[in-house]
Amino acid sequence: MTDVLAVPRRTVPITPLVYAVQFIPAVFIALLAVGGGIADRTGVPLVIVAFVGSGFAAAVTAAIGWWSWARLTYYIDADGDLRVDSGILQRQLRRLQLSRLQSVDVVAPLAARLFGLVELRVEVAGIGDSRATLRYLNRGDAQELRAHILDRAALLRGEAPPVGEGPEPGDEAPTPSSSEVLAQVPSGRLMGGLLLRSSTAGLLLLTAVVIAGTVFTQGPAGLVVALITGGVPIFSVLTEFLTFAGFVVTRGSRGLRVRHGLLQVNSRTIPTGRVQGVQLVAPLLWRRYGWVRVELTIAGLGGEAGDAGRAVLLPVGSRQTALDLIAEVLPEVDLDSLPWQSVPSRARRRAPIQWRVLAYAVTDAVIASRRGRITRRIAVAPHARVQSVRVTQGPWERSLALASVHVDLAPGPVQVIASHIDLAQARPLADAEADRARRARLGST
Amino acid sequence: MTSVDDAFRPPQDTWNPVSPRLTTARRLTLLLGYLIVVGIGVVLWFFPGIPRPIAWAYSGVALAVFVWAWWLIGRRVRSYGYAEREDDLLVVNGILVRRLTIVPYGRMQLVDLRSGPIDRMLGVSTVQLHTAAATTDATIPGLLPDEAAALRDRLAARGEVRSAGL
Repeated sequence: MTDVLAVPRRTVPITPLVYAVQFIPAVFIALLAVGGGIADRTGVPLVIVAFVGSGFAAAVTAAIGWWSWARLTYYIDADGDLRVDSGILQRQLRRLQLSRLQSVDVVAPLAARLFGLVELRVEVAGIGDSRATLRYLNRGDAQELRAHILDRAALLRGEAPPVGEGPEPGDEAPTPSSSEVLAQVPSGRLMGGLLLRSSTAGLLLLTAVVIAGTVFTQGPAGLVVALITGGVPIFSVLTEFLTFAGFVVTRGSRGLRVRHGLLQVNSRTIPTGRVQGVQLVAPLLWRRYGWVRVELTIAGLGGEAGDAGRAVLLPVGSRQTALDLIAEVLPEVDLDSLPWQSVPSRARRRAPIQWRVLAYAVTDAVIASRRGRITRRIAVAPHARVQSVRVTQGPWERSLALASVHVDLAPGPVQVIASHIDLAQARPLADAEADRARRARLGST
Repeated sequence: MTSVDDAFRPPQDTWNPVSPRLTTARRLTLLLGYLIVVGIGVVLWFFPGIPRPIAWAYSGVALAVFVWAWWLIGRRVRSYGYAEREDDLLVVNGILVRRLTIVPYGRMQLVDLRSGPIDRMLGVSTVQLHTAAATTDATIPGLLPDEAAALRDRLAARGEVRSAGL
């Protein structure tokens, strides 16, 4: 397999066509919106203007796309690392060290799916731009390359290559039917869950109040506000729904595989060895149904600002499903029997709403914190992933003899903070945690 | 108040303090920043048509803020301290909000040594530790250059021995 991949290859030749196709609708709509002037002056119907204009734009895109397609090659070099050479005017020769591999995702954006193509995203640990996107590939090629990359990375990490060396049938199936399904999210529950999230529910309630107020006072000013407070949650619910629809978690040979998305299908392997922390989120309105969301921090996982390191393991589901999934990624944790330490009752004067919820727990393997009255978050991190420990104390905490202990983890959604604990416990907890972090690492490597 | 000192107490007798030169450096920066404030004051006093009470009020507030900032810099610099333990580095700082950071040597990814133009003039440097966590807050400003270089080398050496990556 390596020999075949050692020869520089190109992505599929119809790639420029895919670029062009995904460009057409946007240009078409834009021209319909602003092309009125041209239509008036030339006497050509607006639709024709839009057709010709978007056709022209598509042709230009295809030409540029063809050029960049012709200049892009990828191959596996003699050291077994992935090389990607690209760039029209400025050549970029990229080498992705597979020993530092973070994730390999096969993604099928809408336009590519029309042609039965996928894109492959490879990410390695590193500062700055450490990801390569190969677009577009045949599904078969992408999966072969993905399997090779994963095998290679596993080998370099000193793990035994997965059964049979080559691609495993269960792992390669385009639908997850042949491998073991661990969790699935029905669309109805996903939509219900998104609507009942604290921020969504709060904004919708606010919208109702604003509309009611507008009707009562008969003033039009409130409508603009209602449009914003109502539009934002509806938009975010829809985008999240499209992202997470059809959510399926299966067990692959190299970790958990997560597939989701309606228009753009995302398929990602959660590398269990890279999980830095787990978070169980339960908004107020979910708790009566016993629903939770599970989020992970994965080291080096790229993303937009504020979203780096975030991986959703379960967008909404029962607590039992959540615990089963967490047991897959962090087998050493038993979330049901964490020895919670509550904060002293005088913390009420610092955190009047959430003080009853605030707690932390330490076991042999993990440190955990529980926070939030409205949206409850239980965050858990293995000692081996703790980077540093901080004790902080504000003036208000000082007057109450309280302090907070923060556990620093790689960037991501999971934050373990023992807020407002008894001052006498803070420093011993921090010292002991730093010590456990150090020893946990010595033991594991 | 004894218990407060308990949580932020040094591992041995005292914290290693940072150099008082840092106070000078920061006060110099304050003075430079105040050039603009004084400039506005001059305009207020000598520009025709501006009522005197406004000029007086401005000067009073500016002076009060200056005295307060001058004094605060001294206290802030004195609040910095660090200590090297066998397996980790401890850094404290802050007056109103107190912070103590513990970084195990094995988690250090990078040790930065830097000094700005005013710092260089007065001979102080800053050592900053980076881990894989963006929230790690371990910065020791105001070290004498030799001290800083030695500390960085010691930290780097210990980090290498205990390095564990992510």
